[in-house]
Amino acid sequence: MSRINMVGLGILVLLLLLLPLVVGGFMTQIATTTITFAMLGLAFGLGMRVGLPRLDIAAWWGVGGYTTALLMKAGVSFWLTVLAGGIIAVIAGGLLFSLALPRGMIAFFVFCMVLSMAIYQMFGSVPLFGGWGGTTGVPAPTIGSFVIDTQREVYYLGLFFLMVTVTVYYLLYHSRIGRAWDSISSSLKLARSVGIDVVRYRMANVLIGNFFIAVAGGFFVSYYRAAIPSIFSFQAGVNTMVYLIIGGFSHSLIGPILGAIIATFIPEYLRFAQTYQAIASAVVVILILMFLPMGIMGWVDRRVKPWFYKRKWYARLSNWGVKEQPKMPV
Amino acid sequence: MSVGLFFQLLANGIMSGGMYALVASGLTLTLGVVKVFNFAQGDFLMLGAYLTFTIVVTLGLPYPIAILAALVSMAILGALIFLGIIRRALNFGFFNSLLITVLLVTVIEQGSLLTFAGQARAIPPVFPGAMSIGEVAFSRGKLLVIGSSIAVLVALYYFMKLKIGKAMLASAENSDVATLQGINAKQIFWMTMAVGCGLSGIGGAIIAPVYGAYTMMGTMVFSRALLVLMVGGMGSMSGALIAGFLIGIVESFAFQFVGYLNLVVILVLVGILMFFRPGGLLGKPMPVPGE
Repeated sequence: MSRINMVGLGILVLLLLLLPLVVGGFMTQIATTTITFAMLGLAFGLGMRVGLPRLDIAAWWGVGGYTTALLMKAGVSFWLTVLAGGIIAVIAGGLLFSLALPRGMIAFFVFCMVLSMAIYQMFGSVPLFGGWGGTTGVPAPTIGSFVIDTQREVYYLGLFFLMVTVTVYYLLYHSRIGRAWDSISSSLKLARSVGIDVVRYRMANVLIGNFFIAVAGGFFVSYYRAAIPSIFSFQAGVNTMVYLIIGGFSHSLIGPILGAIIATFIPEYLRFAQTYQAIASAVVVILILMFLPMGIMGWVDRRVKPWFYKRKWYARLSNWGVKEQPKMPV
Repeated sequence: MSVGLFFQLLANGIMSGGMYALVASGLTLTLGVVKVFNFAQGDFLMLGAYLTFTIVVTLGLPYPIAILAALVSMAILGALIFLGIIRRALNFGFFNSLLITVLLVTVIEQGSLLTFAGQARAIPPVFPGAMSIGEVAFSRGKLLVIGSSIAVLVALYYFMKLKIGKAMLASAENSDVATLQGINAKQIFWMTMAVGCGLSGIGGAIIAPVYGAYTMMGTMVFSRALLVLMVGGMGSMSGALIAGFLIGIVESFAFQFVGYLNLVVILVLVGILMFFRPGGLLGKPMPVPGE
């Protein structure tokens, strides 16, 4: 990452850290929800890196959430429950996906949808999970004796999880595994022909995603203090796709975060429409998809960045800290 | 289990199976030809059902008119949606058009909620009363549904053998070469969409006298259609047909024993089936996007 990019990132992180000190409690709450959705969107982006649209994210989100809810009510420490949820999601995912992954993208896609609906049904029907009313009264997470229960503290906890997620994904994307994933999404047949075991890399991808999705679930439930089936609905899973695509699906890290922010704010701004809010939000998103098909980042790439590239001051700024390149002999 | 109950469950299963087969056929057809996964497929069924209610109850017209109206109006609506909205997104890949259909689900369902104030509508049965086959009594309405859905599916089968049906299958396999053969690919796209949505619409009209019309019926049927697609194979029309009835029957019996968990039961069975017979049951599937 170039020096200027690192500075930019640093500024962004600083702003995120200062956010609760600047805005009110309600906004912090919205920001916390946005953070959770961003984590889910990032997981969808992870799946897209290997060409797999994962509509089952809501299901694993629920798995992590319910694990945390039930275990914390039994007295287990928050951090252990998050870990447990992640492990369960990985194992269950491994078993289930072994059926669907080798069958190709569309079969996987349909399988995920059905899985999501079935698990949702399970959360509501099985008495252990508290039925359709869910499990409430989940205690607040703690670090040692420090209880995390104010709006701000929960926000920072979420921010922590988000940053860990983004860092891990970033490192993965820039590793050998990430390059293998890119080759799979670019041209599957070609990747196979050079000896990349597509199914194995895809399995690794979705299982890693499962872990972080479950972590997001554990966080959300400890923030919400309850695990209710209606949270983990199929619609929630579909929304993760919306975040990525609105944000820009070529940018797996910024896209979902941006998309989550926008997707959370559109309904807020349309709140005045009340009963028409849902339709209005859907129409707005359809319009965005029709006219900005590559998402917001796609628009930025096409229209905003070139403006900067043409400025001399930008050229000098991006070359800051770049070592002198050896000159070609003329 | 008594014989009577067994046949009742079987009849119920065939009845819902017919619906699933109709919706899944439309879904798979659109997927194969237009390469669009129409999430809103179930909602066209819902609209067809509500339209039937409006025509039969509010306007007092005879039932066959409602069936025809549902078919035609849903076909036109599907074509318009394709031409207006989906066509733009097609150039940008599978997921954009998919997402648009997903959002259309919200639009259509919310629209229906607002229009019909969320009330389920009941439609008086067309042939009231029961009929006996052997010792078992079936309501005539259910038999009518079974008969009508089979009739539509048979009609679909022959449609696929017509020139236009073959043109659709050709476009599905390779739309460039199909164009070289003189098939207007662009026309085929909206026509296919029209057929797919029309199938759902007529399904809604058929099922309306038995199940009435309620807002979530679209999503309910769609989720079963997904299972049908998995079992029957993604691009396979005949697979959708057989798997539709299969899933309907399994669901009917499973519901008797485990209630709403039948979705989990079906998923387990489907999972086992996929393990032994990947790629669906039979027939030559149309190629679908993604390997």
